[in-house]
Formats: sequence, C-alpha cells, structure tokens
Amino acid sequence: MSLRLETIRECLEGIIPGHIATCDRAGMPNLAYLSQVEFIDNEHVALSYQFFNRTRQNILADSPVRLLLTSHLTGAQYRLTLHYLRTEAAGPLFEQMRAKLAGIASHTGMAGIFQLLGADIYRVLNIEQVPGETVAPPPPPVNCLNALRRTVDRLATCNTLECLLEKAVDCLEKEFGIAHLMLLMHDEARGRLYTLASRGYPESGIGSEIPVGAGVIGICARERTPIRIGFTNSEYAYGRTVRDGIAADGQADALETAIPLPGLPDAASQMAVPISVAGRLLGVLYVESVSDLHFGYDEEDALVAFAAQLGLAIVHHQPADDQPDEPAGSEEAAPAVAGTPLTIRHFAATDSVFIDDDYLIKGVAGAILWVLLSDFAERRRTSFTNKGLRVDPRIRLPGVSDNLEARLVLLQRRLEERDAGIRLTKTGRGRFSLAVDRPLQLLES
Amino acid sequence: MLDSDHAAFIQTGVSISLAACAVDRLPCMSRGLGCKLIDGGRQVAIFIKRSQSAELLDNIRNTGRVASVFNLPSSNRTVQLKGVDAHIQPFDPADLPVIASHVSLFLDEVIPFGMQENMIRAMFACTVDDLVTVVYSPSAAFTQTPGPKAGDPLGAAS
Repeated sequence: MSLRLETIRECLEGIIPGHIATCDRAGMPNLAYLSQVEFIDNEHVALSYQFFNRTRQNILADSPVRLLLTSHLTGAQYRLTLHYLRTEAAGPLFEQMRAKLAGIASHTGMAGIFQLLGADIYRVLNIEQVPGETVAPPPPPVNCLNALRRTVDRLATCNTLECLLEKAVDCLEKEFGIAHLMLLMHDEARGRLYTLASRGYPESGIGSEIPVGAGVIGICARERTPIRIGFTNSEYAYGRTVRDGIAADGQADALETAIPLPGLPDAASQMAVPISVAGRLLGVLYVESVSDLHFGYDEEDALVAFAAQLGLAIVHHQPADDQPDEPAGSEEAAPAVAGTPLTIRHFAATDSVFIDDDYLIKGVAGAILWVLLSDFAERRRTSFTNKGLRVDPRIRLPGVSDNLEARLVLLQRRLEERDAGIRLTKTGRGRFSLAVDRPLQLLES
Repeated sequence: MLDSDHAAFIQTGVSISLAACAVDRLPCMSRGLGCKLIDGGRQVAIFIKRSQSAELLDNIRNTGRVASVFNLPSSNRTVQLKGVDAHIQPFDPADLPVIASHVSLFLDEVIPFGMQENMIRAMFACTVDDLVTVVYSPSAAFTQTPGPKAGDPLGAAS
C-alpha cells in the first residue's frame, strides 16, 4: 500500500461525503453515500451500518468494496479497496461511531432517522490517489505534536498533584488553544465523575458530578474510549438534559446536583478522553467548542497521549509513603479565634456539609471535612496526614483506589471558592494543615 | 424511465458519481462533471475524466452495467439510476457549457456548507481532450434519500 491511511484521515470526517460502490452476484453495481468512515488503524476502517439496504445485501453476498473519499482541505480524491470482516453492535468502537453519527444526523437534519445498527469493520487492501488537480491545504490552527511536547515538558516539572492538575488544564488552554475544558476524576465506588478543574466557564463547577454512562463524558468513562462529536446534537448533551434523565430514573438523590456542571449550552464540537492507567480509569478530560468540527483526529491523538502521560503522573503523585499519623494531641493547639461563629451542619446519610446553610460538599470529601472540623473543635487539632484519614473509621474510604489526594484537592478548592474562613494547606508529602478563622458551631443531622 | 421532475433534478447542482464492476465484481467509480439527457430523455449522458477513470471505463466496456447517484447536498435528496447498455462516446466540446453550468450550480450548493471555491474548482478542473461521455438508458431508478425508504424504486417511495 503506497499511501498510509493515517495521512489522509481528514477524508474520513465526512465533510465531503464519501461514496461506497458494491456489486451484486449478477454483476450489477450499486453506489451509495457514506455517513461515516471511522479510522481504526492503517489497515482497518469501520463504516456505519444504519439500514439493511442494497449495499448491505451486496456486502453480505461477498461483494468487493470500493470507497471514493475526498479531502475537503485539498480536493484530492482517493479510492480505497476494502474487504468486509465483521460487524460490531456494542463496545467502544460502536459507541464512538454512534456518538459521532448522532452529531452528523443532527447536522444534516437526520436526527431520529440515522440510528447506528452496527459498526462494519473492513480491512483496507489498497489506497490509490485519483489523478487530478488539488490545492494546498491551509495550515492547521495548532501543531498538536509540538503542543504535546511542550505540555509533557511542563507536567514533568510538577511535584504535587495540585500542581499537576493546574498545569494540565493550563497547558490544554495555552498550548493547545482549547478555551473550554474540564478535568473530572472517577469515583469508582459511586460510579460518578466529579469535576476537579475547569477553564473557560463563568462558574468553575468544581465538585459537580456526572454519572458514568451519561452524555459524552459518561460514555467515554464507561467505554474507556475517546468520544468525539463534530456537530451540536441533543442526544449527547450532558448538563441539564442528563440531569433530567437521571432524575426521571429516580437516581437524583445519588447525584451531586447542588453544584451545576459547567459547560457551553451551545457546544457544537465535544471530545472526551479517558485518563486510564493499567486498566483503571482515573478520570476524563473533556473539551468543547461552539465551532463545528473543531477537534479532529490529530487533536484526539494528542489528547489521548496527553491523558496517558497525565494518568501516570497522577498515580505517581498518589503518595505511597504516607507519613505516619501523629498521635492525637501531640501538635500545638490552634490559637483561639473570635467573631461570629460559622455554623457547620453535617448530614450523615449523604455526608453533605453545609456552611451557614450554604451547601459545600458531600460524599467522601464531605466526610473528610467533617472529621477534620470535629477534631479541630474537640482538641484544636490542625495537622493531619493522608494515612490518618485512610485508617479513620469515621470516613469509610472506598478501599485502596480511594483517590484520597484528588478528594483533598477537591475539598481544598471548594473551600477556597466558598471563602468562608476554612482552609486546607499542604505541608508536605501526605501531610496537610487546617486553618479556621472563626469560631465553629458543629451540628450533626 | 425518468419523469420530468427527476430529469430536472439530476441536472441541478447535484453531486454526481458513476460506477461499474469488473468481471470479478470489483467495482470502481468516478466523479461526474455534469450530465445531460439525450434521445428525448430516454438516455443519460455523464461526463467524466478519462485520466481518473481507466478502470471504470474498462469495466463499462466489458459489462455495460453502470450505477450512478445524484445527490443534492442542501436537501440530501438522492437518486440512483442503473443501466445495462452503457457505452463510451467521445466528448463533444459543445457540451462544455453543460459542465460549466453544473460546476456553478454545485458551487452554489456547497459554499454555504463552508467549502472553499478554489478547492471545488480544482476538483472539477479538466481539459477537453481528457473528457469522455458515458451514455446509458436508465433501466432502474431508486430513491436513495437517507432513511428507511432508501433503496425503494422511484415512484414507490413517498
């Protein structure tokens, strides 16, 4: 094969629809338009199977297959000779194509008509460029490979998880030029993703949640595969639509709803990339834009590589050598403070914590805060260790994959945003301190 | 075979392509640069570039069987015509205005979708001596507008 498929992937985006030619057993040709061609690797593509039409009948009757694809950047045309292998009706590839097709359907007025029945997988036998005049492609808006290199260099300078998360979103914004993005972490025990950092929204949405399986982000998490959509569509909206769906399913009590998920109400392009290490999902990177087809295969490749690097770095920054917990009462007691007391209310059923009747956080982070403030109130304790929290029976961490460090960052950021006079500060590896500016009144409900 | 509505449709700013299969069933296709009706509408003539279509032209010579699709980007309306008597004729320079008109109508269709005019003109760039005309009598016609009725014979679909 003289041409590598990876070098002509823009033709697969369907901006200029491709054609598929097949032949019946009697030798009669058939031509049809393609909704979607999905790049799998240099030897394989997948086509969307939506209807049992003549093309499908011919394929099942062992027809050889030819595609004619056209680059919207150069006008170059390519003929691909394919051999049908199999159809997948579930799994990561199917979900990738189903999401992309939903965007295409919405964009072309075919919402409700285009439904993916299967992902037909083909071996690419040959690619030939059709002779003809072409134009020079316009320069890409970003050199993704170079942006990735600079990003990886910058991540390597971090020595805490907090620095890493900050640099990660900063690099997506500055090096990749992505204006709207979120970094969500996986709460394995609850089947949720919680927002830990974001850029480009009026409200950070830190602490907001989305269930695994819901919308672009949730499907990316469930299937552990990138999901990329090029056009606005309601089927994969996350925000309110997802929440309404969850509420209708009676799951609303389990989902964080007090903190709105950030996000563009009119996003056209969406891409979610899983952050996984050794088969374990740590979180999801989500980027979006109001422009159609804003993220292509190159951006997807770059963010997948970035997420792999970020995942390893996150694991590296989960302290394995936590400091031993200090004996109670060994530290210097915090000085007394004056002023109007802060009322802290804890609801044990959900570990929700409210400060002066304003919701702050719930779940594991809520349980941690309640323990910290209880110890502070009882014996003016201000110094804590991760190891102490892990073994504290009051917190009930969900096992070894607790992402404790990430939950502490979440709690720290929520407290900063709330600016209520309670602060957490990292004081060393696996060690942090609590500062409280006003007297506390703790109420358990 | 073609009613006046479909006859008019295939001569608007549609995307045109033409396919034929080898004796071993391997199909090949090329973009059409325009088309016209001849013989009182009983035959369709599609203009293609010889330099892009050596394999397709061989297939037509060997089998005479062709399929062609006509798709209007703005409406998704799509029609497929098939014939079993396709043959190749020299291009008549008198048909150049048909191609020029087709390119112009096609540009009107796709520029609103963000296509660059110079790129589209490059796709349709041709020289008279590279053009060839494929003529066939439509013996079957199908709607291929996306949806569950795609593939139905024309007239049977709503």
